[in-house]
Amino acid sequence: VTAATAATAATASIDDDLWSAVGDPTRRRMLDLLLASGDGTATTLSGQLPVTRQAVAKHLLVLDRVGLVHVRPAGREMRYEVDEEQLARAVAQLASVGADWDARLRRIKTIAETIARSKAK
Amino acid sequence: MENGSIQRQLYVEASPEVVFEVVSSPEHISQWWSDSADLEPVPGASGEIVFGKKGAPGSHVAHVTVVEVDAPRLFSFRWVYPDGETPSAGNSLLVTFALVPTAGGTTIHLTEDGFREKGWEAAELEAAYADHVGGWDSCVTSLTKYLTQLVATS
Repeated sequence: VTAATAATAATASIDDDLWSAVGDPTRRRMLDLLLASGDGTATTLSGQLPVTRQAVAKHLLVLDRVGLVHVRPAGREMRYEVDEEQLARAVAQLASVGADWDARLRRIKTIAETIARSKAK
Repeated sequence: MENGSIQRQLYVEASPEVVFEVVSSPEHISQWWSDSADLEPVPGASGEIVFGKKGAPGSHVAHVTVVEVDAPRLFSFRWVYPDGETPSAGNSLLVTFALVPTAGGTTIHLTEDGFREKGWEAAELEAAYADHVGGWDSCVTSLTKYLTQLVATS
């Protein structure tokens, strides 16, 4: 497998769950708040957002499922913090998409020009 | 990234007919994109592109649905949608190749749309993160630069 093939395969396997997890504005705001304060609970987050504690808890489950947050028990509540590596991974997947199309277009150009030259002979 | 899309242009020294064939036919797609492709360039047709040897460890199958075919001017398809779902504007990325005859050759106008719906704004999140933490390693710093370029060029 060439480097180019590996790169395209990586893009193709863009993690749909990860994308939809960060695709929601409320969840992005929550990640933002968690990053700003280091950690938080459903209660502290709902105090900073226009949504109920129950809704926040549901969003936290989604984030937990894709590994974007870590959870640990703290007294009677669960305390959440952002998994920095997984967040960087999500961002890197998005960033790799543009570079991949540049590489694909270069290959399209090479193939088409090779065909055009062989036809001209 | 104003409209949540990637846009690229590239001049190719070949006729639009040749370029169209290259961007739309499975035998060529398997050269510039995947390791194999099973796809009919017919509107509405669903197919798959395979990275690696199908079924082998590490291989990956991506589903693709053709949207528009207008040889030799336009070829578009949707991909990156959940298995079993019908691709639409909200759950997939739309890739469009528009081919414009240019000075004896062809300019390819490539767009890939749908990032906003699929969470492109993680990039903004990353920027906020950098503000708060200020401790990104060099890898992520270059990523930020790259994202900025991406936004500036699209």
